Amino acid sequence: MWRKVKWGLRIAVLLVVAAFLHYTLPQRDIVLITGTYNRLTTVGANWLFYATPDVGTAESSTTRDIRFIEAVRPNGKVSVYRNEDTGWIWPPYFKYDSSNLQAEAGNLKSTTATPQWVAVTHYGWRLPFLSIYPNAVKVKAVAGPDVTLIPWVSIIVLLALAFGLFMLRRMWLQLRERMIDPALEDVNNALDAADARADAAMRQARGVWRRLIDWLGSWRSKPRP
Amino acid sequence: MIGLVYRVGFGFIGLSVVYLLVSVYARSVQREKLEKRFESGDGEGDRDAYIEAGMKAWQHGLRRRLIWLVYIIPTVVVGVIIYVVNY
Repeated sequence: MWRKVKWGLRIAVLLVVAAFLHYTLPQRDIVLITGTYNRLTTVGANWLFYATPDVGTAESSTTRDIRFIEAVRPNGKVSVYRNEDTGWIWPPYFKYDSSNLQAEAGNLKSTTATPQWVAVTHYGWRLPFLSIYPNAVKVKAVAGPDVTLIPWVSIIVLLALAFGLFMLRRMWLQLRERMIDPALEDVNNALDAADARADAAMRQARGVWRRLIDWLGSWRSKPRP
Repeated sequence: MIGLVYRVGFGFIGLSVVYLLVSVYARSVQREKLEKRFESGDGEGDRDAYIEAGMKAWQHGLRRRLIWLVYIIPTVVVGVIIYVVNY
């Protein structure tokens, strides 16, 4: 029972971490940009998936003008990206050139007849149900829909995270070996010593008690011969 | 702009915590290494004196100074990200 709960918790934590990384790490889509526009958007309960109000492109926390980029993927399905500054805290993209990005995206607009394929770097998810959009970070013209893009940033970030976890574990083990275990040993030794003292005192007390009983016994009438 | 100030402040505090952890860890590893080296018969004379001398040498060595990279690397990374994303 406990084992199942423990494993369930572990898997839940792992899923949350994986989802978090999948949301935050950059991804690149190869698309045709078909449109760019601004739309007055009301941000409500889904505020977590929009820029915080203190960054340049988001003046108000409820209703704001958000830039969007519409695109078509090679398989014919559409993608819609928002284009907002990220601010300085999270996610750490430090993007403050949304206007420039919008202009670049507009410049790369094309049609299916004369396609100009574009790699759009973005983070985030498109969930129509919650009205949330991935945030485009960079656009770059590419040769065709089949070019291979190696996700260097994700590789480096994941390696760095793994290294950090490994070092944390090493540090913890070192701390335990050098500080906690010796301290526990000291405590154990002190407890043992205290135990021994208590035993000695007990023996002594028992000795006193025994002598008292014997002395009382000496007052008892002796069996007559 | 105020966000930038916050970010730099909190980043500095966070990195200082990391710096502290790493330097305590590195010192501990170095001491353990010296103890083992002494026990394998490398050092002569007093054990404590041997270890203290080794720690003093390490304190002024290059490997200890490399812990400053804890501050330098994230700053450089942030600079590179800002450049790559915006320019």
